[in-house]
Amino acid sequence: MTPHTDDMLKRLAQAVVDMDEEGAVAAAHRVIEQGLDPYVAITEGLSRGMLEVGDLYDRGVYFVPEILICSDAMTSAIEVLKPHITTAPEHKPVTVILGVVEGDIHDIGKNIVKIMLEAAGFEVQDLGRDVPAEAFVAAARDAGSGIVGLSTLMSTTMKNMGKTIQALTEAGLREKFGVMIGGCPASAAFAKQIGADGYGQNAQQAIALAERLAARSTAEEPIPRPG
Amino acid sequence: MTQDRMSPKERIGAFLSGGTLDRFPCVPLILNHAARISGVKIGEHNRNGRIMGECHIAAYRRYGQDLITIFSDTAVVAEAMGTELHYPADDVPRVERPAVTDPNDRSRLVRPAAGDAGLGVYLEAIRTAVAAVGDEVAVTCCFAAPFTTAAGLRGTDQLARDLYRNRDLAHDLLKLSLEVCKDFSDAVVDAGGIPVIVDPVATGSVLGERQFREFALPYLQELHAHIARRGLPVVLHICGQTSRILDAMLEAGAALLSLDDISMSEARDRAADRVALMGNVRPAQTLLQGTPEDVLREVRELCAIGRECRRGFILGSGCEVPIESPVENVEAMLAGVREFGRLD
Repeated sequence: MTPHTDDMLKRLAQAVVDMDEEGAVAAAHRVIEQGLDPYVAITEGLSRGMLEVGDLYDRGVYFVPEILICSDAMTSAIEVLKPHITTAPEHKPVTVILGVVEGDIHDIGKNIVKIMLEAAGFEVQDLGRDVPAEAFVAAARDAGSGIVGLSTLMSTTMKNMGKTIQALTEAGLREKFGVMIGGCPASAAFAKQIGADGYGQNAQQAIALAERLAARSTAEEPIPRPG
Repeated sequence: MTQDRMSPKERIGAFLSGGTLDRFPCVPLILNHAARISGVKIGEHNRNGRIMGECHIAAYRRYGQDLITIFSDTAVVAEAMGTELHYPADDVPRVERPAVTDPNDRSRLVRPAAGDAGLGVYLEAIRTAVAAVGDEVAVTCCFAAPFTTAAGLRGTDQLARDLYRNRDLAHDLLKLSLEVCKDFSDAVVDAGGIPVIVDPVATGSVLGERQFREFALPYLQELHAHIARRGLPVVLHICGQTSRILDAMLEAGAALLSLDDISMSEARDRAADRVALMGNVRPAQTLLQGTPEDVLREVRELCAIGRECRRGFILGSGCEVPIESPVENVEAMLAGVREFGRLD
């Protein structure tokens, strides 16, 4: 990697950390103008910044507002870079189908997990909130394999996590997917009870769990990480 | 089992005046769960004040808890100001469309009359409950503080971004929400109830201390001062993780802090000499999914800590008692406080 590229990647990362949407977009434009690799700009520049943001969040320096704005900076920069990507990724990224279960619309936690999963190199299919079991099944069928992540903040909707897992089982898809759950009413015990593969108490645990599940199911092809 | 020797109203009265108590007061946050005691659908409970009141009377007669706690959803104040809520037949309402989806929408915000929409439901529920059982138990009404209300007006995601991108808009919404909260707190008191302020979106699970101090605290302080001027104790409940914001919460002017995801022993160490504490049997893990024995175990531990809380302790649930909680588990809270929480 040339010092020039290295400098540009650091600039992209720093713009994300600094919540500097304008700076991130400007740097993304310079990447294109200078003929640098836009895919590398995402995985080794922007994503690295986002991973540092995740670390700042874990350490209690950044909070939810910061994560959202850093993520906006990253998303805007990606929009500049994406149309120019010609390199296919070396390894097909693991798909994570994410959603807040039916009946619940609290999605901040799920949104944070989505941001951090993408920074970690997963491909996230975000089904949004108030997602019925059938929608998870349909997305899983399309994806073929990967991870399903279920989120809820309300105790009244926890049962829909079990319902979704049951629907995946009935559709013959359960073995193809790691299933993780999150949200404060849930727990590791509840995960076990409903047949999920694990519970993430926060975004950091969710990412670690996703990586364990990905490594388990794709032992010959570990998930691609930036750098 | 030891019998109570004071009525709930006497017990709470003694608690507030520093008098002698027979045991710790016990206030599980029986909110929408009250509907289940009467077999009423949640949608009906939330939209009909008389039915809501009657559900609470029945729940009180069943459980004998020390305060009635009327509530349906945190977005009720925002709804009266213009946010659209969707009310399922048998589940809690949810925000369908925030009033200020576009910043320019703020000019269309309404300062409601005290009895508009869901606020009127609450007032009728208070009057219904007070008329029936007000001589033996105080009736409280839980409603959202300005920060949580502003989140209901704007959408939580958007408000979180506004804290950086549009601080003027955030403060405008907070100021307007504060006025509405003050008006409603007066209406609650006039109806014979006691306001309980809840601020779940201002939780440490979402905000850092600096943001809490800028955007939540000043509005809580002013609202609490307004309530205190009516001669009432101020109760503040913030769910989620509050360790990070506890120091700031102590400055809000509440007499009683109701806590959720923080160890009560930490709260005792940091706050018990400044404020009375309430909490925190775990709602989902214990009240919903546990056994009565699990409840008793937690109550026993909490009561032991409660004895070291110099300004008083109320045994409560960390947050709303889950709607489908087995009745035996809620009963176990009362049985537990009578067994482990004696003060005479």
